[in-house]
Amino acid sequence: MTYFEKMRGHTQSPPRVGAVEIVWSGIGSLLGMAAVALIHFQMLDPLGHMLIIGSFGASAVLIYGAVRSPLAQPRNLMGGHLLSAVVGVTALRLLGGHPWLAAAVAVAAAIVLMHATKTLHPPGGATALIAVIGGESVHNLGYLYVLMPVGMGAAVMLLIALLINNIPKNRRYPEFW
Amino acid sequence: MTSSIIRECGPVDISEQDVLKAMKAMQGYIDITPADFKQVYQIAYALAKDRMLKALKAADVMSAPVHVVSVDMDLIQTAILLADKGVSGAPVIDAGGKVVGVVSEKDFMAEMGAGSGGSFMQVVAHCLKNKGCVALPLRNRRVGDIMTAPAITAPAEISVGEIAGLFMEKKINRLPIVGQDGRPAGIVTRLDLVNSYCMLG
Repeated sequence: MTYFEKMRGHTQSPPRVGAVEIVWSGIGSLLGMAAVALIHFQMLDPLGHMLIIGSFGASAVLIYGAVRSPLAQPRNLMGGHLLSAVVGVTALRLLGGHPWLAAAVAVAAAIVLMHATKTLHPPGGATALIAVIGGESVHNLGYLYVLMPVGMGAAVMLLIALLINNIPKNRRYPEFW
Repeated sequence: MTSSIIRECGPVDISEQDVLKAMKAMQGYIDITPADFKQVYQIAYALAKDRMLKALKAADVMSAPVHVVSVDMDLIQTAILLADKGVSGAPVIDAGGKVVGVVSEKDFMAEMGAGSGGSFMQVVAHCLKNKGCVALPLRNRRVGDIMTAPAITAPAEISVGEIAGLFMEKKINRLPIVGQDGRPAGIVTRLDLVNSYCMLG
């Protein structure tokens, strides 16, 4: 196959999911994000840690919208966020003098580490990045960033996923731990 | 032999449409493309088939004990024995009990005018053309004169998959299974092979 032929693609999109799936994806993400956002606005907003909620918006797509996906499993959700947070804070500590480099290294190292530990979770990339670009308030947290807001937020999202995703007959979560 | 074309044995070829329908039936978002799933299926199926074919050995499917004839046995007696036992062929053993060849209907028919093809219809055609059948060439001759030799044999550990390959490659219908001493332990015929596919489910 030539280089340019590959760019044409070779298969089709998976089918659209059924109405039930769409509805429960909506319900799950609404409740999950409500819980996380409530905690953030009550506890973290005054401290200026709001940026991290973007990372959880991305997690919501996976754990409420694609519950079968390996990327959406608890191991990936928790492992991906926690490891990426550690990587992000470490990158800032070591390379903080060059924010552009720290940002790039944080995301790249997070992906490598998540792959190596079988915890790949796309929003982890954002979690690592926010540790670098989150501003003074995030920087001041140091490694506490890993537990709060990151660890706590991911745990709340997981709890809601377990409660909501198992209600419909044709849904189950997780596939594995 | 009916055909020289060996058809490839392969997994049922599922289409991307089949995969799409299956994904729809399962509901929920499955984040794999139909083409990737198909590839996973094909590789997994080939591995499973390989495992099954390797798991089943000649010892599991062979007919034993096996009826044998000795190399110096008279052909008339041999024909009577084969007819009596209801088999169409048998391993041939020498004085030491080792398998040295295989004798079957095909070898008889080849002598009766069927030529190397060895089919019954060729014998019929030959008889009709010559206004009479000629079984006379079989008189006063011995198994050793007409048997197919050297014998293609295999140990009891050979897998069913390998046996199928041998049948196609060597164009044979039965495979004597021998022990380390070369003595017959059993025989795998095409029928045994068909039965083994039932075992595979």
